[in-house]
Amino acid sequence: MNFMLKVGGALALAAVLTAPALAQSRLVAPGLSTTGTYMDYMRTVYARAAGADLVQVPLSGFDKNYELTALAAESWEQSEDGLTWTFKLRDGLVWSDGEPLKASDYIFSLQQAATSGYDFAWYWDTAASIANWKEVTDGTADVSTLGIKAVDDHTITVTTVTPKPYLPSVVSLWYPTPKHQFDKVGEDWSTNVDTIVASGPFKVQSWEKSNNTVVLEKNESYTGPWQAQVDEVEIDSSLGLPEVGLPAFLAGEADISNLNAGQIPVMRQRMPDNLRQDAVFAVSYISFDLDSPPFDNVDVRRAFYYAVNRDELTSTVLRDLAAPAGSILAPGYPGYNAEMAAKAVFDPQKAKDFMTAAGYPDGKGFPEVEIWFREEGGANGAILPPTAQYLQAQFKEILGITMNIKIMPGKDWMEGLLARKNNLYIAPYGYDYLDPSNFFGIFYNGGRHNYHVAEYDALVAQADSNPVWEERLKLYAQAEQVMIDQGMIVPLVHPLTTSVISDAIGGDATVPNENGYTPFGAFSYMYTHITKN
Amino acid sequence: MILFIIKRLISIAATFFAVSIIIFLMMHAVPGGPFDGNDMPVSAAVREQLMAKLGLDQPLWVQYLNYMGGVLRLDFGVPYQSPGESVLSLLANAWPPSLILGGLGVLIGAPLGILLGMAAALNRNSWIDYLASAVATLGLTIPVFVTSMLLILVFAVWLNWLPASGWGKPERWILPIVAYAAIPLATYARYTRSAFLDNINKPFVTTLRAKGLSERRIIFQHVLKNSAIPMVTVFLPMFIGTATGSIFVESMFRVPGLGSYFVSSIQNRDYPLEMALVLMVTVAICLAYLISDIVYALINPRIRFGGNKQ
Repeated sequence: MNFMLKVGGALALAAVLTAPALAQSRLVAPGLSTTGTYMDYMRTVYARAAGADLVQVPLSGFDKNYELTALAAESWEQSEDGLTWTFKLRDGLVWSDGEPLKASDYIFSLQQAATSGYDFAWYWDTAASIANWKEVTDGTADVSTLGIKAVDDHTITVTTVTPKPYLPSVVSLWYPTPKHQFDKVGEDWSTNVDTIVASGPFKVQSWEKSNNTVVLEKNESYTGPWQAQVDEVEIDSSLGLPEVGLPAFLAGEADISNLNAGQIPVMRQRMPDNLRQDAVFAVSYISFDLDSPPFDNVDVRRAFYYAVNRDELTSTVLRDLAAPAGSILAPGYPGYNAEMAAKAVFDPQKAKDFMTAAGYPDGKGFPEVEIWFREEGGANGAILPPTAQYLQAQFKEILGITMNIKIMPGKDWMEGLLARKNNLYIAPYGYDYLDPSNFFGIFYNGGRHNYHVAEYDALVAQADSNPVWEERLKLYAQAEQVMIDQGMIVPLVHPLTTSVISDAIGGDATVPNENGYTPFGAFSYMYTHITKN
Repeated sequence: MILFIIKRLISIAATFFAVSIIIFLMMHAVPGGPFDGNDMPVSAAVREQLMAKLGLDQPLWVQYLNYMGGVLRLDFGVPYQSPGESVLSLLANAWPPSLILGGLGVLIGAPLGILLGMAAALNRNSWIDYLASAVATLGLTIPVFVTSMLLILVFAVWLNWLPASGWGKPERWILPIVAYAAIPLATYARYTRSAFLDNINKPFVTTLRAKGLSERRIIFQHVLKNSAIPMVTVFLPMFIGTATGSIFVESMFRVPGLGSYFVSSIQNRDYPLEMALVLMVTVAICLAYLISDIVYALINPRIRFGGNKQ
């Protein structure tokens, strides 16, 4: 009897002791890239580690309805001349090692970004237009002259070159760097789990670098908005490939899986209530070298604009993968103008007329051209190759031209684009922040394509700095009309992504938004508004 | 023998340096560099700053000498994609999973392949032969990612017997090892069958039978030994090939091994890592062939090193 009691007692004690461990909820989700260099968004954006967006807290963020939300900053205001913004930080924010999170940590992160080879530096020049940013990154001005200042531990001021009414949106990508840790460990503080300190809703538990898989745990010291609802998140970048992710999902080893075009109908039949679709705020478009023949002729460019049957493209080869794009802005994106988008119609006769006007009736005399696009993973990887093949056939049939296709590594493609090694590209672009200036900026004053269209540049410059939203929209609409009239680009499609989620997860992030989409790409919101049974 | 080994080691060293020069030049000849991004590029000033920091602003020959100077001290540099550690420590972390999976795959697949090949040869033109040939042909022709997918679907998704993917617990090793083992199994089955059929009809076998040796002794003691040379030729290089990681198997089964580095180092223009991987494989293959040559001699004393001396 005594023995039985002892055994029973031991078992009960063991149950009590292990109960908290058993209750731990771990969400397993796919990551974006199997390589990640720094666990620091402010050191590298394109080669950041999985979960870097969750480990630090930005000044602002966007919820699933794309409403701007104050995160580390509790308020902000613009000066009367529109050139200075003041951000007030919340009280009580601390680093995971107990050190207080200060305004100077935000200043330090941008100072580092301006001077240490940040691969996203263009953003703070183009989107934020921070005073002296360009001079500091070029090495012609000292970093202390940068238009950012910590007035006190809780106050940041940002001075811009021109008024930027949308700056609170831009700073959704402004994360802090722990200056105290940087001073202690050095610039590689964010490469080692033991030296990474967090200010956001999660902290790093482990990081498998060979496939950029990260396990995050809830940061109990985080007191700001959007706190973690699960104890742990495993972001496994190997699961990013639907061919790997779905089998793991079906075997119960993952809670979310991306789906490819072949998997969507199967899973729609099998788990119709568990599918979630997201309209990615991105666009794929055709761009030209405006200065070299035959695309220096505006009639040729406009012929391309009217020769694309977007509805057929997205209902056949891109079914479930993309929606038609009449504009560079996707439906639902701030500033989207349905009237302008409706102008991108498929009109084969008009396309032929423009070719004739350009001196190439039925394509006669038109040189053989080559369209370049880059190898990609994810949504774009599924979209670009069939799109190129579709366009090849359609341009042959409608315009009578021969267009060859070249797929190339991303770096080579980008180098070719900047050095104008070709005159025809399919280019994808995804949003960085939620304001029309983000997309209009791509073609502004050189931008991504070396475009210099004076009328367009003037309108975009006015729109960007106008403090009145309605007036801005009118100016952007005028700029978009210039894009159409000048045939600057041919918008093609907006990508859609489809995922399947397990019955074990729930929470606000899994419920579609007012447009019927579930934006899993908005990481900060998603991972903090998801629960697991 | 010792002279032969010394000569081969010298030739390995020469190969090592030749490969290092070729790969170094090829890496730098490929358009783009580590800081030419897929999206908006860094400014020229920033790019210069980064290139200077990594010594990439120096003439190529200086960069080569600096790198190889480090290699001779077993310092393969710092990988651009993981700057907080050395190339050696990065590879040391990633190699064990590849070594375990690839090594066990060969160690399991090769003996099974030998048995299958022997069974086929000893039962020529029977259903056993046809079955063995079919298995070998399928093993060689079905891409490994298809094999992997089928294994996952059957054993993880449908039967729910084993984990679909991941790394850590030994039960997670089973499916990737089976996927790995398919190729050595198929290769060995074909080599063994062919070598056995070559030997089994030779006069020495007739002589052995005439002397009254049992069939089992003839097969295992004489035919198998004489058939071993082509198998030895295949074994070590295959071992090296699989134990240095497979991008497909490791991707499908989410194994944190070396395979992904072969791709990511090229994609990211991670020169130190790319060089280290190529040099590592070069040395491993050279040594594998050296060991194979030595094993030849041990198996067959008629083989002499260094030419036609009898």
